Amino acid sequence: MVSKYIHVNELYKSFDQQVVLQNVNFQVKKGEIIGLIGPNGAGKTTFIRILNGVIKADRGSIVIAGLDPVKDGDDIRKKSGIVTESAGLYHQMSGEENLRFFSDLYGVQNKNRIIELLMLFDLIDHKDKQVGKYSTGMKKRLALAKALLHKPDILFLDEPTNGLDPDGIKLVLSYLKKYNEETGTTMIICSHVLHQLETVCQSFAFIDHGTIVEQGTVPELAQKYIDVLKVEVETTLKPITPKYQGYNYTVDGNKLIFELPSKQEISKLLNEILKTDEVFSVTTLNTDLESIYFKVRENGHDK
Amino acid sequence: MISKSIIRKDIIDITRSKTLLTTLIIIPILFSVVFPLLIVGSALIFDIEKVTGNDLNMMLDKFVSVMDPVVATYSVEQQIVYIFINYLLPTFFLLVPIITAMTVAANSFVGEKERRTLESLLLSPISIRNLYLSKIIASIIPPLFVSIISFVVCGVIINALGYPLFNTLIFPSTNWLVLISCLSPMIILLVVLVNILISSKVKTYQEAQNIAGVIVLPIVALIIGQISGVFLLGLELILIISAVLLIINLIILFRISKLNDRSALFEKQIH
Repeated sequence: MVSKYIHVNELYKSFDQQVVLQNVNFQVKKGEIIGLIGPNGAGKTTFIRILNGVIKADRGSIVIAGLDPVKDGDDIRKKSGIVTESAGLYHQMSGEENLRFFSDLYGVQNKNRIIELLMLFDLIDHKDKQVGKYSTGMKKRLALAKALLHKPDILFLDEPTNGLDPDGIKLVLSYLKKYNEETGTTMIICSHVLHQLETVCQSFAFIDHGTIVEQGTVPELAQKYIDVLKVEVETTLKPITPKYQGYNYTVDGNKLIFELPSKQEISKLLNEILKTDEVFSVTTLNTDLESIYFKVRENGHDK
Repeated sequence: MISKSIIRKDIIDITRSKTLLTTLIIIPILFSVVFPLLIVGSALIFDIEKVTGNDLNMMLDKFVSVMDPVVATYSVEQQIVYIFINYLLPTFFLLVPIITAMTVAANSFVGEKERRTLESLLLSPISIRNLYLSKIIASIIPPLFVSIISFVVCGVIINALGYPLFNTLIFPSTNWLVLISCLSPMIILLVVLVNILISSKVKTYQEAQNIAGVIVLPIVALIIGQISGVFLLGLELILIISAVLLIINLIILFRISKLNDRSALFEKQIH
């Protein structure tokens, strides 16, 4: 068995008899970017807080980089950077003062790091402005700069793109991906915006009603949850029978949407079409993260 | 042991918060400038001897009989000013460190909770003991600073206005020196410690103020109410009270230094 960087086993947490997390099992490989997805109130934030050792779990075990958040909390917090949903910045201090304060707390020696991050996140011109006067997007970018000050080994990002404009989202997500490639930082990203995560995360964990209901890569999950693959083909083919080569299809303008039992059937289908017609484009429709997410939730509710 | 950056950050925060800064300016002006100006100033302007009746004179005689024999040789006007400065003013003056310490310390944790920054602090690698001790020091500095400045300003006003009346500098007496160097710091520390503990356990500033009003104010009122008497009874008693407060403070401080429950502090905030 490959040893995991983060390993959570049978974790439970309740607040005043209200169960928030139950039987949570979760693994992350070192250097992986994992998306933690689930509806509001599913327990994502509580889970992140427990991993950081600021809330104690009722039972279960957690090992992060060989450390236990309860016993070695400060060691884990030294290694990890976190962007919380509320950003957690001091509004009466300037952007630079905030970063200077947190760099002291995290023991950052490199004094250029603050300027480097302010430039990277396009905040250098606003470094002397009070954070209270920042826009939501600027606060979010500053919070991210704060989380990266000490070059952490693990990044916890709770809704990191909330409140950002499209340019900001692109800037932040592409930076996170690049940062992961360059430094091998393990990242756990909580978000609702599924299509944004799809391009950044290597695997996903779905959390619902306080438990991780499924975890894996998109291909793994698609394999498990998608029984009928929908493939959209832009082609000159105009079938006259209700089924084409035994496959069900629907017509959408000049495109045909086929229902296939597996992805292995795609080549077969295309070969058949190409014998008589031209093909301009082929797109699989229901193997995206969003489709899988709803399928997983649907299955969860059926149980 | 303590985090200089948290202390610095807290002090910046206090000086940039309009409400806190207003309290830190208005309260000292009221008790160390306006009060002495009114009393000593009016003694200079009005002929107090003419307005005082027999009853007041009898009361003055009683007071004066337990004081320094020199006081008995003073005129009624001088005696009134002397009694005000040395026996009544300390009561009002102590309100400066008490109110400022209460305001600053009550805001300490609660301010962070209300602005949702405590989460950032608790998620950083700072120990709970370090956090408490740094916040205690950050809450002590402003009231201590303000009370020393108030003491100096108050002294300048009293001496400037009192000189024409006494032909000598009448401030500070030994009692006053012990008050500012021993009693006032001990009261500040007590108020700060109790308020920090309250501030860490409640969720809003309103709650912190309410609890402080119920728990801290009566104790403080009790101490303050006795100050005139204590001053009358002398130096030793002020020193004894300071020493008792020191012991109480050390006990509370010791208990705080044992605090280590991050999750208890984390869960007592607005989520």
